[in-house]
Amino acid sequence: MPALTYREAIRDAMSEAMRRDDDVFVMGEDIAEMGGSMGVTQGMLDEFGPDRVRNTPISEMAIVGAGIGAAVSGMRPIVEVMYQDFMTLAMEQLVQQAAKHRFMSGGQIKVPLTIRTQGGAGWSPGAQHAQQLEAWFLHVPGIKVVFASTPADARGLLWSSIYDDNPVVFFEHRTLYNLKGDVPAEIDGIELGRARVHREGEDVTIVATGRLVHEALKAAEEAEQDGISVEVVDPRTLLPLDEETIVASVRKTSRCVVAHEAVVRMGFGAEVAAIVQHQAFDYLDAPVERVGAKFAPIPFAPVMEEYVIPHAEDVLAAVRRTMGKD
Amino acid sequence: MASQVTLPRLGQGMESGTIVRWLKSEGDRVEKGDALYELDTEKVTQEVEADASGVLLKILAGEGEEIEVGKAIAVIGEQGEEYSPPESADSDGEEELTATAGVEQQAEQRARVAPRPQAAEQMENGGRVKASPLARRIARERGIDLSALRGTGPEGRIVAEDVERAEKAPPAAPAPAAAPAAPTGEVETIPLTGMRKTIARRMTEAWEAPAFQIAMTADVTAAIRLRQALVARTGEGEAKPTYSDILTKVCAVALMRHRGVNALFGGDEIQLQPTANVGIAVAVPNGLLVPVLRSCEGKTIPQLAAERADLVARTREGKLRQEDLEGGTFTISNLGMYGVERFVAVLNPPQAAILAVGAIEERAVARDGELLARPIMEMTLSCDHRTVDGATASEFLRTVKQFLEEPGLAL
Repeated sequence: MPALTYREAIRDAMSEAMRRDDDVFVMGEDIAEMGGSMGVTQGMLDEFGPDRVRNTPISEMAIVGAGIGAAVSGMRPIVEVMYQDFMTLAMEQLVQQAAKHRFMSGGQIKVPLTIRTQGGAGWSPGAQHAQQLEAWFLHVPGIKVVFASTPADARGLLWSSIYDDNPVVFFEHRTLYNLKGDVPAEIDGIELGRARVHREGEDVTIVATGRLVHEALKAAEEAEQDGISVEVVDPRTLLPLDEETIVASVRKTSRCVVAHEAVVRMGFGAEVAAIVQHQAFDYLDAPVERVGAKFAPIPFAPVMEEYVIPHAEDVLAAVRRTMGKD
Repeated sequence: MASQVTLPRLGQGMESGTIVRWLKSEGDRVEKGDALYELDTEKVTQEVEADASGVLLKILAGEGEEIEVGKAIAVIGEQGEEYSPPESADSDGEEELTATAGVEQQAEQRARVAPRPQAAEQMENGGRVKASPLARRIARERGIDLSALRGTGPEGRIVAEDVERAEKAPPAAPAPAAAPAAPTGEVETIPLTGMRKTIARRMTEAWEAPAFQIAMTADVTAAIRLRQALVARTGEGEAKPTYSDILTKVCAVALMRHRGVNALFGGDEIQLQPTANVGIAVAVPNGLLVPVLRSCEGKTIPQLAAERADLVARTREGKLRQEDLEGGTFTISNLGMYGVERFVAVLNPPQAAILAVGAIEERAVARDGELLARPIMEMTLSCDHRTVDGATASEFLRTVKQFLEEPGLAL
């Protein structure tokens, strides 16, 4: 199995799709000569030329709008929005246009658009460049939302996103770009809506996304020292959500912790908690715990940033609470 | 808003209590968590804490009065605040408190109890038993009365484990309605920790395997000489090889020669393992762990001693990693240091066998018609009959015995 970084895995999916398929192209701010502000599209201009690796003006609304136009005209555009914080500027295009066309046209129009965007705290980017806003998009019928946590998942899920006929918002986490991991020799799609069980356990289920998958795995190892056996489930696709895997896991363990970097309030964890209490009520032996950022703008100061965002120790504390061991 | 302080139910079966003494007076400032009054029930006398902060506006129940559970005994609010006068504590007990402004908060702001050890009973919340949904389901399915149980979860919640424990042990008879006596001869209940639960589950599983045992003794004269030679060559700061390390090595070599014993039971298959990964049982407070030494067949005894010393140290310090506990193909349990002559170990599934090793003792042995005193060690091999049969097991154990008696054969 070859090993790729998370960054290389994402580039590999895009490049391979562009080699096989003339309809696929990428566009975004500074993605051509500069290779993107996170270096994800580096080298792609040389291989595919400026018609297929397109720099855009600094207008997220225009970039996403152009992506929608290309998608409804039969292309499979991949749009890069430099920071997910800037997605706020593209919400009208995404929520009002991309998410609605297929339904309002009675299925006559498809929008096979992929919007790649990244973000997350942990490197002191400040309040306007550090948010995790995935929950905003989960509230909108008509789009799919993906959040990959490993190189293999990033490549397989991006592949499926590109070839999905619906608009997909594909979240990447800034601190994972250099994470290296094995990927299958042959590129292959990972079905959207399928969770990955990273680790099996008997006592507590942690449902974690993005960076928190890795924090959850660390917490699980710590908990194991304490005789607490932890199962770690990464939904990978937040919409559609693999409720079946999550519920089956909680029915087995009787306890559930949901962990994400986004703020707890009204977050993805709230939806998971609701699903779990509804579908596994008679199996719960403890209240569902949620782990996430404190309800505050992310501070610049590294020490304060660290205080606001969740880490493995916060996940472990939640695991221990579900076991009545706090 | 003013809130009523009501008489809490401190234990099961408590219907009423007597206020021994108010620890605050009307008009006093009260902080949540302050001891508010002393309460005498049939079982104990204890201080009860306030669960709301404010001013003690009114005491409704006098000292020495017997009050029913749930009745208002005081009002806490802000200075000068109007409060709707609740029914006095000694009013007709037939009527429940009516819905005045304070009643809704009553459940939340009910006085919290600072339990003394003898009063650590499950607290009910307005007659509702606090239990997890899973505990309720198990209780419903098995016909167990939750109100008879004591919860060990957070805030006294009955969790699934409490119900399962109750099913195994019949409920204790209610405590005699007498003044609290010194707890003499009472059963001490130790809830199972995660490790003990794992031991309980794994050992019960092991008991389901059809096990048989075979035993042999070995004359360890040569092994003792070998150990002395190895110890003499041990540098400063290096781990001294023990008999266990020698055993680990000879078992590993023997396992590679009798691979049928170096096997795992896989349900519908037997999995012969490519390397001898030997687990060593290590006692820790309240349990034991079995960290694994990997590929022992290819390591020297000093190497094994160093790895063993590191594993045992980390086991005792609680610093084992999960992978240290995984991948074992065979286990050795040595109780020789306790003077145990021989014992039978319980299998460590899915491993095919476990070797129980006793103490080295000088015994009288007949050799060529002469009686000799020789150092003897007894070994008992427990085997999973689904994976290994008596003949294979015996050949393996005979090889171990030969290696101990003539270590050169293991080369």
